[in-house]
Amino acid sequence: MSIVQSVTCPICGCLCDDIELTIENNEVVKVKNGCAICEAKFLGYRGHHRIKTPLIRKDGKLVPVSMDEAVHAAAEVLANANYPILYGWSSTSSEAQRIGVELTEEVGGVMDNTAVVCHGPSILGVQEVGIPTCTLGQIRHRADLIIYWGCDPWSAHPRHLERYTSFAEGRFEKSEWKAYMQKLKAQAGKKKVQSATRSGLIKTQPPRASSCTLPGAPPSALSKRGRKLIVIDVRKSMSAEMADFFIQVEPNKDYELMQAIRVLIKDGELDVDKVAGVPVEYLKEVADALVNCEFGVIFFGMGLTQTAGKFRNIEVAISLVRDLNMRTKFLIMPMRGHFNVTGANVVSAWQSGYPYGVDFSLGYPRYNPGETTCMDVLIKDEHDATLVIAADPGANFPKKAVQNMVKHPLIVIDPHMNATAMLGDIVFPAAFVGIEVEGTAYRMDHVPLPLKKVVEPPEGIYSDEEILRRILEEVRIIKKQKAQQKVEAT
Amino acid sequence: MIVLTPLKTFKFPVTAECINPDVFQGKTVAEIAALPVFEGNRQKTLGELFKIEQAEGDNPSITINGDASEVRRIGYGMKTGEIVVNGNAGMHLGEKMAGGRIVVNGNAGQWTGSSMKKGLIEIHGNASDYLASPYRGSTDGMKGGKIVVDGDVGADSGCYLSGGLIKIKGSNTGQFLGYHMSDGTIHVEKNAASRLGANMTGGKIVVSGTVEEMMPTFTIDSVKPKVKIDEAETATGPFYVFLGDLAENGTGKIFASKPNNPNLKAYEKYL
Amino acid sequence: MTELLIKNGFVFDPLNKVNGEKMDIAVKNGKIVEKVNEHKAKIIDAAGLTVMPGGVDIHTHIAGGEVNTGRMVRPEDHVKDAVRKTALTRSGTGYSIPSTFVTGYRYSQMGYTTVMNPSMAPLEAKHTHEELNDIPLLDKATYPLIGDWWFVLEYLRKGDLEECARHVAWMLQTTKGYAIKIVNPGGLESWGFGRNVHSIDDQVPNFCITPREIMVGLAKVNKMLNLPHTIHLHTNNLGLPGNYTTTLDTMKALESVPSDGKPNMHITHLQFSSFGGDGWGNMRSAAEEISKYINTHSHVTADMGQVIFTDTTTMTADGPFEYTLYQLSGHKWVNSDVETETSGGIIPFHYKKNNAVNATQWSIALELALLIEDPWKIYMTTDHPNGGPFFAYPKIIAWLTSRKARMATLKKCHKKAQKKSLLPSIKRELSLYELAIVTRAGQAKALGLTNKGHLGVGADADIAIYDVNPETTDIARKYKAVRKAFGNAAYTIKDGRVVVKDGEVVQNVDGRTIWLDVQTAEPCRIDEQMKNKFREYWSVDYANYPVYDHYVKVKDPITIQASV
Repeated sequence: MSIVQSVTCPICGCLCDDIELTIENNEVVKVKNGCAICEAKFLGYRGHHRIKTPLIRKDGKLVPVSMDEAVHAAAEVLANANYPILYGWSSTSSEAQRIGVELTEEVGGVMDNTAVVCHGPSILGVQEVGIPTCTLGQIRHRADLIIYWGCDPWSAHPRHLERYTSFAEGRFEKSEWKAYMQKLKAQAGKKKVQSATRSGLIKTQPPRASSCTLPGAPPSALSKRGRKLIVIDVRKSMSAEMADFFIQVEPNKDYELMQAIRVLIKDGELDVDKVAGVPVEYLKEVADALVNCEFGVIFFGMGLTQTAGKFRNIEVAISLVRDLNMRTKFLIMPMRGHFNVTGANVVSAWQSGYPYGVDFSLGYPRYNPGETTCMDVLIKDEHDATLVIAADPGANFPKKAVQNMVKHPLIVIDPHMNATAMLGDIVFPAAFVGIEVEGTAYRMDHVPLPLKKVVEPPEGIYSDEEILRRILEEVRIIKKQKAQQKVEAT
Repeated sequence: MIVLTPLKTFKFPVTAECINPDVFQGKTVAEIAALPVFEGNRQKTLGELFKIEQAEGDNPSITINGDASEVRRIGYGMKTGEIVVNGNAGMHLGEKMAGGRIVVNGNAGQWTGSSMKKGLIEIHGNASDYLASPYRGSTDGMKGGKIVVDGDVGADSGCYLSGGLIKIKGSNTGQFLGYHMSDGTIHVEKNAASRLGANMTGGKIVVSGTVEEMMPTFTIDSVKPKVKIDEAETATGPFYVFLGDLAENGTGKIFASKPNNPNLKAYEKYL
Repeated sequence: MTELLIKNGFVFDPLNKVNGEKMDIAVKNGKIVEKVNEHKAKIIDAAGLTVMPGGVDIHTHIAGGEVNTGRMVRPEDHVKDAVRKTALTRSGTGYSIPSTFVTGYRYSQMGYTTVMNPSMAPLEAKHTHEELNDIPLLDKATYPLIGDWWFVLEYLRKGDLEECARHVAWMLQTTKGYAIKIVNPGGLESWGFGRNVHSIDDQVPNFCITPREIMVGLAKVNKMLNLPHTIHLHTNNLGLPGNYTTTLDTMKALESVPSDGKPNMHITHLQFSSFGGDGWGNMRSAAEEISKYINTHSHVTADMGQVIFTDTTTMTADGPFEYTLYQLSGHKWVNSDVETETSGGIIPFHYKKNNAVNATQWSIALELALLIEDPWKIYMTTDHPNGGPFFAYPKIIAWLTSRKARMATLKKCHKKAQKKSLLPSIKRELSLYELAIVTRAGQAKALGLTNKGHLGVGADADIAIYDVNPETTDIARKYKAVRKAFGNAAYTIKDGRVVVKDGEVVQNVDGRTIWLDVQTAEPCRIDEQMKNKFREYWSVDYANYPVYDHYVKVKDPITIQASV
């Protein structure tokens, strides 16, 4: 039995790096410090859906083949393709991503990562107006106003609040955990009174909770001392339950709401009484709270990036933050999903200049989402081969994109027999990054963290890095042979 | 005049910025056929993808007969002459155009007339998203010239417009028309979608039909009987005139037809 | 390894006092040697050509979090400068912030072989090193930003210089860094709450320390650790009219640190710290005041921070300065504060000739380079990409070596800037010998890189050969030819291998990453207390903070014995 400390969790963009694992017989048996998702992954990653050998589709069925055969087949497909897509990259190491760029360049393809279906719009927004941001520790130490907009950290990034924001202890700002526990107790008391009232035990009407949802009394919660937590969403999520103030915005109206707040923080007047379902009177209170904080931050999620307005939502959110800096310190950060989607953007940018959706078909990198992302290409069926690594588009892409994807040869590299692998023509089993192989990942705030190897991968299973390197070498050999044949022919 | 006919239906994107009267000028058919293009990741010659013929008339013009919806960058940066596409045209048609005329008897792809400076683009079908809008991250919008679209236009059209005229005759536009424009004119003869003129700082958008929704960050200024579109044309109203976008301290103007927008009557109390 | 003999070139090797003599340079096993076997060695005929040590750049932002964010936010900058893949080289993009491979190629094409990445947030050091690995053909090093690091502020405030020194040594080792980088000392911590410091005696909020105390303290620490380079300083109030008084105060403050006649500070991109006037309306050059001080003192070296008239991207750890630039320009603005360490910002910026301020900035940098008499004290940089992209160096070379060239540019500048410029009164034109000092020898000397910047026996065989014949070419008159020659090296030789010929990359090799392995008598105590403090200060675990050896592809640590 051995204990490994300071393990980085390879799940979400939080990249909590304080996980303690107990290993017995090359197996993780205990997880300390992790959230429920983290525990589930470390304890359950072995599952029965693990792919055990390379597979190739023959007569409609995936059959086991040798690694050499699979590598050669994949390289043949890629070397001969006129417009291949190499997609995924968000759940692997930046070391593998580096080789990915090189391979895509070699085969003249389109390299895209899962940002295209999550925070790609954030990047487009940033390219319009920039982004005032920081690392997460800065927020822990300094932020006295925290806003989650269109995201639910309690469910999707469970330790975000505890490690980096409201419930974290900073140098200049203290944790709100105790206050929250007191609030919970008070609410539990109220609930008891309410249920007693309902069951007829008590006749009197309980006092109205100083609820923060709209419509109701003016948001007195905004004048409380200490760290304030505001949640803005279309529904009352778990995180909204915990917030000091919750604004329920009409679906697809975030853009109008933010634009209106931009006017109000400059003491401007609006010709309307309500914006996105929220009375302007309320928004003025919110604007005051924004302006009067010492250090505010907005975290945003797919509630902004994937709803009407998409990258314009992000652009305006950033513009709001930018405007707020004329009055106070205010920053903004996307809540990135996959543990190394940020790394996929980072690596792609340093090697090619562009963060995602990079098209190498002309021999140099080009970038223009709307034209060069894998989604653009798949929907129009312009590709003739696809390699998917460390992602599962078969499960989460639009139907048309998946239909077009399987029309042409599909190469899949993944530890699991996921939906995409089941559709694949050439399938490589891969070792789990951050469990069975080491590497580097970039946290949502661009802080690089080492991923550890805590157990040995199963016999004959290689890392993404190794598989890609072998395919790349094989592609080069095939291209060289073809060039030689051409010379001989003429 | 040169006539190009696609030899097949293109599956892969064809990058062909050489399809430009300035480039063809003074070249023989054989020389034109040898111009380099890309089909997917393979370099080809124009002649491998198109039948190329010399036709009557020696003015520098190009006609494409057939579907060119996968052919990108036609007329990129062209300065003179004329291109007629009898069929659909692909993305980046007439991008950075500096003169001449492009006519599409069909639909046009995204970024048509992107960052154009001068010239005329006529689209007799629909135009897709980002009509006249600049490249990612750039604020270099359309500076001059004229684009006329008989059909609808997609989202984010006319972004960062700083001069020239866009006329839309179809019944619909996408969201964010005239986004962040600073000058120039957009005339929507029928209806405009929401987030019209968001972040605009100058220029004018005239909507003769209905406005789906005004941004809350525009303020009513006045009611005007008519408004000038260009030297040749005046649109008659009456129009509500809105100023904005207040979020950018903008002084852009949106003219919204009074009879077609009864829902905007509520604003009259501020007049 | 092959032997190499470079025959009959005009050699400019200022560190060995060789001034244009016709001589041979012999190379074996990647080093300069006394002689080689002429029959076995590969011969390069350098007759009629200029031979210099490989170029050294003391300050160029080429890798790391800040640089890469700059890449990410500027697709419009890349789209105008795409670089094709070849059989030998990777593809990529420019313009102002080139991708990693393109950075390596373009430096090498100009005859550069060693470059220093001057701005690394320690928390993001792994990122910087990952990028440096992907920059081919060059030796590289990087400076961690530690002027506003909480440990430094706290130990200096306590007056515990020794403990501070041990922590700095730990930081250099941990991040694989090369020098102490200080940016707007005190200002970056203040920027954490949106504030700034405005003189070297302002108090830093919450820390009871002044910029003066930080700079003097770290200069002393630098000395205690026997670091090869001095403190590398970006001054307070950078980029603001009238800031030259702050710069003078800073230099005077450092007089108190004993230096035995040697430099104890390097002021980087001095141009941005030499503004006169009291507002943008009457902003003027203070190059005269600054150069006068430097000419009469021996403890300061500096680099130019030349402005190039082009569309570029400014990026610095000086977050408050970038915010000022945002307010001035309204362009897209990136801010990136890093917990307990530093801040940062990015703004695209177009320097224009017809803008009085920009044109004055252009003039200031040249005035400084020409008015500071001793070329060993001021080196050529653009503070890439802040003043302009590094591949504009040939232009600067022309301006420095040819009065005709700079007057031709000045003539096109804003009238007001022309009238105020000191350039018309400056006759000085750098010789090739002096040019070799400001572009390699001086920089290597200031950095304490003993194997770089010269062609003496034992030096690294990093050599640049340019198509300039000093016997037949009057470089002051033929400045266009000079520009061309220095932009396309006839040969660039890295570690004894020809990597560039006639301006084209002909061989692809990895460069090394240099860092300081500083040995203190008693190492920094990493006990439970320190680890607890670590947890308090940062949001990552202690064990995940260091740049482990496998993050560096080709390792070249230099061991330093500290005096503490």
